[in-house]
Amino acid sequence: MKQITAIIRMNMMNVTKQALIDAGFPAFTVRKVLGRGKGNVDYRVIHGAEAGAPEAIARLKDDGPMLIPKRMMNLVVPDEAVPKLIETIIRVNRTGKRGDGKIFVLPIEEAIRVRTNERGAAALA
Amino acid sequence: MIQSIVRPEKVHEVMKALLDAGFPAVTKMDVFGRGKQRGLKVGEITYDELPKEQLLVVVADADKDLAVETVLKSARTGDKGTFGDGKIFISKVEETWTVSSGTKDA
Repeated sequence: MKQITAIIRMNMMNVTKQALIDAGFPAFTVRKVLGRGKGNVDYRVIHGAEAGAPEAIARLKDDGPMLIPKRMMNLVVPDEAVPKLIETIIRVNRTGKRGDGKIFVLPIEEAIRVRTNERGAAALA
Repeated sequence: MIQSIVRPEKVHEVMKALLDAGFPAVTKMDVFGRGKQRGLKVGEITYDELPKEQLLVVVADADKDLAVETVLKSARTGDKGTFGDGKIFISKVEETWTVSSGTKDA
């Protein structure tokens, strides 16, 4: 079993949900998060700095990139489903620009369905 | 993946420290929880859903100790620390993909 943690753009949520259902991954958990990546992405500040505004240039050097709202999606799937899931998420969310998001794959030791006490693969089916 | 649960009032400091240490990429979320002390007791009332901030940082294996050290140093209150300063959990990440390029990172 693997946990897939995907951090994607807020406005991509609906198309991603539809694509995941079509690909056979109906179950997931989602939450709103704030985050930053490698780049500095406050466009107002960047534009201001390009225009030569001294306050904007000072901001750029000050506190680092501002936090951007994103959606964080968690799915637990069997090992063999991982490549298809990653391919689906990337296909839908990729615009080619920075900020499309990241996908992390983590190992999961055990899954248990609370209703029936099923363990392992049976809990995911 | 380093999951740190820290005080909300410390989160800005921790993120600044991470940035200075060379870990710009962080995901932050609001969480509520309690710890070993079973929450906070003020008079008759027990608060057992204390607000905290959870930070997710994914780093290379070689940078793990530095990242943990950075969070520890910046999240601690007082010289010896205080109850409620938080916890750090580390879990393995097997693969990392960047959506914008569609490629697997090393």
